[in-house]
Amino acid sequence: MIEIKDLHKSYKMGSNSLHVLKGINFNIEDGELVAIMGSSGSGKSTLLNILGMLDGADSGEYTLDGVPIKNLSETKAALYRNKFLGFVFQSFNLINYKSALENVALPLYYQKVPRKERQEKAMQYLDKVGLKPWAHHLPSELSGGQKQRVAIARAMAAEPKVLLADEPTGALDSKTSYEVMALIQKINDEGNTILVVTHEEDIAHMCKRIVHLKDGVIVEDKKIEQVRAEQYV
Amino acid sequence: MFDRDIWQEIFNTIKTNKLRTFLTGFSVGWAIFILVMLLASVNGMQNGFYNQFNDDATNSIFVRPGVTSKAYGGFEAGRRIQLKNDDVEYIKKSFPEDVEYISARYYANAAARYKSETGSYQIQATSPDHQAIEKTLVVAGRYVNEADIVNKAKVAVIGRKVAEDLFKDEDALGKFVELNNLPFRVIGIFTDDGDDNAERRIYAPISTYQRIYGNTNDVNMIALTYNPTYDISTALEFSDRLEVLLKRRHRIDPDDQAGLYIFNYAQAFDDISSFTAVLNGIGIGVAFLILIAGIVGIGNIMVFTIKERTKEIGVRKALGARPNQIINLVLLESVFITTLSGFVGLLFAWMILAAIGPTIQSPAFSNPSVDASTVITATIILIIAGVLAGWIPAMKAANVKPIVALSDK
Repeated sequence: MIEIKDLHKSYKMGSNSLHVLKGINFNIEDGELVAIMGSSGSGKSTLLNILGMLDGADSGEYTLDGVPIKNLSETKAALYRNKFLGFVFQSFNLINYKSALENVALPLYYQKVPRKERQEKAMQYLDKVGLKPWAHHLPSELSGGQKQRVAIARAMAAEPKVLLADEPTGALDSKTSYEVMALIQKINDEGNTILVVTHEEDIAHMCKRIVHLKDGVIVEDKKIEQVRAEQYV
Repeated sequence: MFDRDIWQEIFNTIKTNKLRTFLTGFSVGWAIFILVMLLASVNGMQNGFYNQFNDDATNSIFVRPGVTSKAYGGFEAGRRIQLKNDDVEYIKKSFPEDVEYISARYYANAAARYKSETGSYQIQATSPDHQAIEKTLVVAGRYVNEADIVNKAKVAVIGRKVAEDLFKDEDALGKFVELNNLPFRVIGIFTDDGDDNAERRIYAPISTYQRIYGNTNDVNMIALTYNPTYDISTALEFSDRLEVLLKRRHRIDPDDQAGLYIFNYAQAFDDISSFTAVLNGIGIGVAFLILIAGIVGIGNIMVFTIKERTKEIGVRKALGARPNQIINLVLLESVFITTLSGFVGLLFAWMILAAIGPTIQSPAFSNPSVDASTVITATIILIIAGVLAGWIPAMKAANVKPIVALSDK
């Protein structure tokens, strides 16, 4: 699903150049649930930005579902993001004046799905994360865990190839964190490819594979025995 | 563009920034208000000017004889020019295409009497065409007709005031009124939009009066209207031709200003039009300057809201919003605010004009109002203004990097 070869990225900091990614190589197969770990400054966010087409790499190859991702115009990047990727953010990033349902329907809006169909589909995904009764509530009326579940429903609604989650549990207490992880595991069980960036060991161990980044290189890449989150809920 | 989601978003930004939206919208509304009021005032002045001529057809030309001031063609200066019936025929024949209506006028004063009521009135002896030239409105009976002219009939068309003065409550039609002791049958009563004095007038057949006053062919003046399809420049060109021809006929030096007076309403309208056009220009200019301040204000606030919404825009882009969609959203919001507030200004101006406009009736100012073209122009200006105001903020929004949505740690 994702193929990355010799990826380099550096940032200019005044006269110095900061080499953040120093040759990353890894592949992600269809249906994997991968945790990307690393301390801050390890380059994991930069890697996620590049995977998310929010930023371009300096050199190296990135292929997503057979499509080479290179030199994208803004419009093309928007199109690919919409088609290929679903994002889950640490701070949920729901649009605060839109109801849960409208938030979930937003990527479908950008896919130009007709309004009625959009609403139905969004409702279906809200149901999947168990928030159908809250469909018409504003984000401010939801708890943190509920917000993240809405965000996951939103990311899934566009039926992306890959779900990118950036510290999805970073703003949640441990109980709700496990609830969210249980949901992510459930979505993965249905065959979706998911990438989770985290710095929490227990969250990483709920994935099926851990990629450890340090100073811009992969220091460890191992498959693990998945810890099911349901048992903590 | 007519998408519920876009409008929902626009209304939301307006709702969350109520005061700021109002304050900036106010400046645009105020500009449009001033624009409309200025234009309406100029319009009022124009109406005032036109009303001065209102009791005559607007395409009238009046030819009055004078006294020559220059020696010409063997005649000394100081010769009195006399127009005659022939002149009317001559003009008719010379300008068959140009002349619409033409009538000579013969003036006389008459002491009028009916039973014991008396009064002194001005008689205008005319031919039937005169009704159209003077826009005389006959409310009862009829005007002088061709048969009256041929028969030199002693008939009179009297003004409403004359009828009130002499006949009181009686129906004047068909009665005989004595004018300088000669009985004239009243065949019609007229009103005039001009003023009360115009209604203290009596019309009679010109042939009748020419016979009473010594079998003369003399006329005091000639009134005519030109072809109503003419524009001002054609009309002026026609009156120039008329002047040349009449001066030649009466052997007046072409440069003699005093021998013959030709007054063309087109000239007056031309002067008024250029005067009001300048005023209009000033009005539009002033309003535009104010509008620019409004545009800057709206642009300013939009830049501010975009800054506040950077994160939201970033999220939208991460979810697949294309730069064009973001630009559309911002521009539409800007156009919406400018157009709405502009229309509020327009509405206020219109209400004020509707309320006080009709009550203002001074000679130089009457019925200030705005017409549809002003409204349409204002709308186009507002939409352009909205696009201008939203342009920079929209570009700013389109350039928001979705990366900011992620970097929230």
